Amino acid sequence: MQIQRLSIRALTVLIFSLLGMVAIILSILAGNYFRQAALNAQMNSLSRVIEVAAQETVRDLTRHTFDLGMKLSHNPELLAALQNNHKDKLISLLDDSFINGFSGFSKIDLQKIRIYDIRLNFIAQSAEGIRGLEPALAPQLVKQGSSRQGIERLKAIDALWLSAAGPMHSTLVPVGGLHLAGFLEIVVDPVFNLPNIGHITRTPISIYSARGEPLLLAADTHSDDGFLPIAYTLNTSDQRAAFQIVGYENVSRLNRQMNQTQLVTISGFLLLSLSALAAALWMFSRFLFRPLRRMIADMQQMRHGRLDLTIDPRGLREFYLLADSFNAMASQIRRRTEDLEHMLDLDDNAIICFRNDSEAAYFNRSAIKLFGYSEQQLGQLELTDLFAEDIQQLVQHRQAPGKLQCQLHCITRQADQLPCDAVISQMDVNNETAYALIIKPQSPASGSEDKLAQNLVSSLEQNGQRMEVIEQSLHSLLEITRHNPQLLKLLSNAQNDSPHPGSEGSKQLLRQQVVITMQATLACWEHELHKSKLQLAEESRIWPVYIDKSTPTTRTLDKYLQLDTCPNNPRSQRVIDSAEFVLRQLDHQHGHYPQTLLTALQNLRNTLAGMQ
Amino acid sequence: MSCLRPINQLFYKPAHAVLYCILLACALQAANLQAQAINSADGKPMAPPAIDGAMNLTAEQVITLILTTPDLVIIDARKRSEYIKGHIQGAVNLLNSQMDETTLGSYASNKNVALLFYCNGPRCMRSSDAVQKALGWGYRNIFWFRGGWNEWSEKRLPVVID
Repeated sequence: MQIQRLSIRALTVLIFSLLGMVAIILSILAGNYFRQAALNAQMNSLSRVIEVAAQETVRDLTRHTFDLGMKLSHNPELLAALQNNHKDKLISLLDDSFINGFSGFSKIDLQKIRIYDIRLNFIAQSAEGIRGLEPALAPQLVKQGSSRQGIERLKAIDALWLSAAGPMHSTLVPVGGLHLAGFLEIVVDPVFNLPNIGHITRTPISIYSARGEPLLLAADTHSDDGFLPIAYTLNTSDQRAAFQIVGYENVSRLNRQMNQTQLVTISGFLLLSLSALAAALWMFSRFLFRPLRRMIADMQQMRHGRLDLTIDPRGLREFYLLADSFNAMASQIRRRTEDLEHMLDLDDNAIICFRNDSEAAYFNRSAIKLFGYSEQQLGQLELTDLFAEDIQQLVQHRQAPGKLQCQLHCITRQADQLPCDAVISQMDVNNETAYALIIKPQSPASGSEDKLAQNLVSSLEQNGQRMEVIEQSLHSLLEITRHNPQLLKLLSNAQNDSPHPGSEGSKQLLRQQVVITMQATLACWEHELHKSKLQLAEESRIWPVYIDKSTPTTRTLDKYLQLDTCPNNPRSQRVIDSAEFVLRQLDHQHGHYPQTLLTALQNLRNTLAGMQ
Repeated sequence: MSCLRPINQLFYKPAHAVLYCILLACALQAANLQAQAINSADGKPMAPPAIDGAMNLTAEQVITLILTTPDLVIIDARKRSEYIKGHIQGAVNLLNSQMDETTLGSYASNKNVALLFYCNGPRCMRSSDAVQKALGWGYRNIFWFRGGWNEWSEKRLPVVID
């Protein structure tokens, strides 16, 4: 894909769409992570609750075993049997709790009661209760009990341990109270008490052995029903796994709440994101796309030849600077074009430009003068109306490419056919072929008598007019010399040289008049209108403005301000146009400078008329 | 007009100064009494850390005392119901509010006999009250187990359950 085919708008929309998609994906991901985090938190919380409940259950269990042990250990008969080493008596006394019960009988699952001497050597155990237990103290209790000394030995100790028949809980209490005579071990099955964990946590629980065998199973706790299983391992006193307790947390409500929260947060996030994107797109459209589109449309119009257009500079700073710079550039081009047109206008040859459609695209003043039509009329005519020859055919059937020299007959407004020498040039204008005709009328033929008479009459009229002009010029010169005595010298020099029309003297006089008029024009412009020479050139569009090292200069105009630099064949019409332009700007004001200018202008005209 | 007044004009009459002093003393006394009654962080009353004339003991020291002092009189100052659920071996139940000189004298006729008082623990005021009473009646060999039943049962020491 070529990069120039991609518009900024499309690219921006693409980027924003990507951002929108990323926002949506992030919202969904964040929602899922949030959900997982909430579930993890719930699991951690319930796991901790199960742990606390398990500890509380074991503590409750030990309270009952301790009470039983304390009651038995203060039994005088038991003490006497222990001191006398009557094992049968001891066994019958220990069995009594199994047979006749005790306070808290329903709270624990009593498995065995065993009695030891003060060195923790086994003496006897109850005949009732579980069978198969080794007649020895649990290793953890041995370790704890043997390491204690003095009063510490009077304190009861507990242990959860693994027997051959499964996990058991033992409480070792001293026999004989503060006067130690031996030890009594109360062995219970903790599985009986573990369901209390569920009562504390208020959740269904399942209990498994360390090997994974189910000891207690909770009913209707499938994960599909919204129950989340959370496992907790209850360890023995030597940190070996005794039970696996699985609590089931009903997370259906949590799921509902999380779904609701997820929906609200995602919707809110998306709404905010899309709103921000929409606002950003609108701002891009308002401040970037629209000015850009407008600028491109204006530029395209200018590209197609509408140089009179200016680009609307409204918009952001960069657009303003761009449009302003472009307008300045277009203005310079316009000025150059106008300068060029003016130069063409000043040319004595008639110039006509036309395209393939035979319509005249440009014509200079000489052309208007030659054909006798007004500017508007000439613009509406076609080449066939202006020339007796078919110009198109001439161009198409020319021998070689380039300039074509030929003779044409121009049809004037009076329907006269004037023979002219013409040069036709082919040009490329905006990728279109155009043609320029440079026409020079041939000298009039002096064949007919009528024409001769007409020429005579016209020359007489012209002579009369010239006399009037000379008279006016003399008056004007007298007036000028009154205000500007140094001109008298110039005039006297001019008289001494006896200038004749077409001679060097008349050219010198013309140059002097041109310089005087141009100086008077500039003086009037600067003093009456308070504007600069550059402004005169720019506003009148008569004089070209050059850019010399980024500084605008009026080189051509400057030449006409001094006699030394004034051209030998000065463009007197430009000077007259400049003077008339300044006088138009003054709008018939009276004063020294305008009056001087009027006088100088008149003198110039008189000089020109005299030369003709 | 300024609101500030010179210090020598604060009291218009000497009687006013005396009255202010009395009121200030009363306020300080009330604050002191309140501080004595409520001296725990949660605002509930607690037994004093120590009582002059009585020796403060821990659970282990109590066992040593019991084992080394045959004529020791152990007074359980708790309620009867609490006593039945479990008490220190050899203790007699004598509620502080029901304890008078005669009753105590029936257990310890000699004022030099060793007396050990305990109740539920630091939050229980019964044993401290009983100790102060015994001190007031002239008993001179008094031991106070401030930790009481809480400390004893937490350390899983032997108890007697009736």
